[in-house]
Amino acid sequence: MLERHIAFVATDDAGAEDPAFTRGRLRAGLTPGFGRRATVLGLLIGGVLREVLEQCRDTVIYASAFGETRALADFLDTFPHPSPTLFQTSVHPSAVQQVMIDRQLPIREYIPLAGGPCLAARALVTALLAPADTVVFCGGEERGSWMSGYKMASDRGFAFALALRKGRDASTRGHLGLAPIDEAEGRRSGAACEMPFPAWFDLLHSRKNYDGPVSAEWRLELNWT
Amino acid sequence: MDSCPVQLAACGCVSALGDAAETHAALLRGERALALQPVHGALGGDPVPLALLPGRNLDEESPPSWLPAVRRLMGACPDRPWGDRRHPVFVTSSNFGVGNLFAFRHNGELSHLNYGTPEACVAFIARELGWGGCITIISHACVSSNLGLVLAARQVASGIADEALVFTFDFLSPFVAGGFHALKILNSEYPAPYQAQAIGSIGLGDGAAFAVLRKAGPGLIIAGQTLYNEMHHFTAFPADGSGFGACIEPLIHLASGRRIWIKGHGTGTLEAGRLEAEAFGRSFPGSPLVGWKGSLGHTLGSNGLVELALAVESLHSGRIPGTVGSAAPTFSANVALGPVMDPSFDGVLCASNAFGGAHAALLLCHA
Repeated sequence: MLERHIAFVATDDAGAEDPAFTRGRLRAGLTPGFGRRATVLGLLIGGVLREVLEQCRDTVIYASAFGETRALADFLDTFPHPSPTLFQTSVHPSAVQQVMIDRQLPIREYIPLAGGPCLAARALVTALLAPADTVVFCGGEERGSWMSGYKMASDRGFAFALALRKGRDASTRGHLGLAPIDEAEGRRSGAACEMPFPAWFDLLHSRKNYDGPVSAEWRLELNWT
Repeated sequence: MDSCPVQLAACGCVSALGDAAETHAALLRGERALALQPVHGALGGDPVPLALLPGRNLDEESPPSWLPAVRRLMGACPDRPWGDRRHPVFVTSSNFGVGNLFAFRHNGELSHLNYGTPEACVAFIARELGWGGCITIISHACVSSNLGLVLAARQVASGIADEALVFTFDFLSPFVAGGFHALKILNSEYPAPYQAQAIGSIGLGDGAAFAVLRKAGPGLIIAGQTLYNEMHHFTAFPADGSGFGACIEPLIHLASGRRIWIKGHGTGTLEAGRLEAEAFGRSFPGSPLVGWKGSLGHTLGSNGLVELALAVESLHSGRIPGTVGSAAPTFSANVALGPVMDPSFDGVLCASNAFGGAHAALLLCHA
């Protein structure tokens, strides 16, 4: 079994919040320049990473199915005079980069994963295989603009951050384990076994225990202490 | 650093100059694939150096015009049950189907949306190539394919996979050409990597590639891989170039005792080119440094693996293409402008960089 202990968790369920409201809600705890310039997803990620930034020294795994869809949509509409700023921030993994660049925090490994029906499972495998003692696993979505109407952007905003450690100590908040599902067993069960990315967030946000498939290949055990 | 070696069991690429063997041969001849074309495609704009697949236009079609090239490329990939848990697939790109998204926004044709997100685009490719569902999608700008190799190697080394397939692709569109043009690093000049001159510039190119990794065996191995992220600025490096050194430092010991050459990132921008050339000159004095983006253009997220496939051709043949498009003076003495014909090298260090000060490097050598 691949496993790690949860040393820190933060979640933010922005739901269908208006982006201006999200900006106003979160900017107070962030540096002034970042609060003004960041994308909505950058703000959400910045908010949940705030208390764990010092642990972002070695490895950060980031998952977002859609990324900076508002910047992407806005950039498309700047043609034929494309905006250089929107081009930079529309790049998929920019949410974490916005936060880390604002704080000037270099890290050894930054591994951003994009969409896929088993995004949570793929990110978990990535986080649990990373060699660092402490791995920060974060992710989220921003509520899209016109792209949401075509299911090309999220219809809700959310963000989470976990600090995962190999060893257990007094700060341990929970435990994550992944066990491979035998192919034959998976076929016999016949159950839909993909955990949508928002469902993974909901598990974290509600601090619910879980023991079941997270993809066709992996079974997740999530226990909170 | 990941220093658990894995075997590079197979790899291949496609560029504007053809497959890996054709591209390697053309680079040895000093051919430049880049040609000046309007930056916004049918919408016009300034002429900029782009290297598109033969017959492909910058404006994306539906289905995507790059599909036949991807099918041909993957015809050379070993036949395995790709996409099951023992044979996971890692798909990497910086753009995925954003060219289709751009086309939809500008012509309203709904079919483009079938390819417009990373998930939709990868699902389309997976159907076309018959992959199962165990696919990890990675997007970290121009080190995307390097990350795919890191994650694939980890799954193989840990034993949870028998073999892993890394597939990478980036095909140009007005979206990305317009973006780099807006940043003022894509202009009407051809790129001259590592050349000390007054104005720097890049070119952009189409590219796709694959690699199959398995536990170390005979032939070529990836002996080690390393990553580093400066998080200093989106599009600039710290003036001391410390990130370049921090990335490659773990590979210095691994390469000691080997005779290696270096395939650098070398886009043609001045400051990054100088910092990179100086860092390699300090860490690997005597190892020739080459860069191929002066011919192929920067193939963005795919560049690491496209150029790895060309490095494999070079190692096998003992003929290393030079830094096409560049001339003296160069930023450091180790830059090789012409081909290096020397079969005695037993390894190559391949490096890539990306937005945010991201660095990636690997050491490829004989087992």
